[in-house]
Amino acid sequence: MNITVENIKEVIMEADVLGDTDEMKNDIPLTDQGVDSLDIVNVYLLLEEKFDIKIPDEDLNLVQTIDSIVEYINKKLG
Amino acid sequence: MLSIKEIASYLPETKVSNYAKKEKFVLDDNFIENKLGVKNHTLKMKDDKASDLCVKAYTNLLDKISIEKENIDCCIVVTQNPDFNIPHTSAIVHGKLGLSQNCACFDISLGCSGYVYGLSNIISFMKNNNLRNGLLFTADPYSEIIDSEDKNTALLFGDGATVTFINDNGVLSPQEFSFGTNGSAYKELICEDKLYMNGRAVFNFTATTIPQHIQELLAKCRLDDSDIDKYILHQGSKYIVDTIRKRLKVSEDKVPFEIYEYGNTVSSTIPMILENEIRNVETKRMIISGFGVGLSWASAIIERIKI
Repeated sequence: MNITVENIKEVIMEADVLGDTDEMKNDIPLTDQGVDSLDIVNVYLLLEEKFDIKIPDEDLNLVQTIDSIVEYINKKLG
Repeated sequence: MLSIKEIASYLPETKVSNYAKKEKFVLDDNFIENKLGVKNHTLKMKDDKASDLCVKAYTNLLDKISIEKENIDCCIVVTQNPDFNIPHTSAIVHGKLGLSQNCACFDISLGCSGYVYGLSNIISFMKNNNLRNGLLFTADPYSEIIDSEDKNTALLFGDGATVTFINDNGVLSPQEFSFGTNGSAYKELICEDKLYMNGRAVFNFTATTIPQHIQELLAKCRLDDSDIDKYILHQGSKYIVDTIRKRLKVSEDKVPFEIYEYGNTVSSTIPMILENEIRNVETKRMIISGFGVGLSWASAIIERIKI
């Protein structure tokens, strides 16, 4: 299964974050695009549940942008 | 049948505004109002201890109902911020209220699940020992353990206390309880010197464990959402309450959120809402659910047995 940007945007939308996910830039940290500190932990939880992975606290710097999340999850699912 | 006759609460007059902390913690109004759900949090007087907050809640109880003090035969205090390590705060409350020497007193050391545990404890203990009139207090003055520089905790918690009067002529009756603990995660919410909270870990716990726990309790009682008038969830934050509600797929009007003006009062948030619901005759059956430090959680089905 190859995870795409669209898959990640669906999860972000599911987290009910403010703003339009279509407008989000893929290479800018989500927290710089209106996703606050509570929304972001919800996004991480939904990613963990949806893709059946764990994102440990020490990996959070690897999942800041949509592009980096795609890369991280694809690596995890190997 | 032993049940809840009356509930009263006490909130300190002093409030701290979260709007005044917008610059310090880089907050906006939307975050304060719709995510935290705490505009102001209450702050007790510096010299007030947990027992003093309990006494003030009891004074407010007397405004609602006449109680013969000498007939109180059980007094329990739920707190993790007791007046002293030794003795138990319930003994201090006993002394300050001048209760009878035939009154059983003990504390329960639990946080946000404490009221549900306390309710089960007081009713079981009174029933097994043929006691007739009980007082269940909650008072956890977190202002004593909050680091005002810690954004994770400095915006959320308020001081306050409640007292629930239990006798055999009550209005609300707990029908079924369910409890849980994940002690392997105790470090995620801990106080060594000041309170530390791993927000992500606590959020993940509440978002995953609590909806499932509530659904299991409903299934155990052969009830579904249509049988429940209100879900009275511990008011950890608006975001937590909203998340659990959405995951349960329950309509917003069934899930009260009421801490905008006082904050998360730990074991007192559930009885503070029940205090209003006790007079709402439309609410016939409800679920109460507390969760937090431990990690610990507990829920109960409560039914109105009298109007």
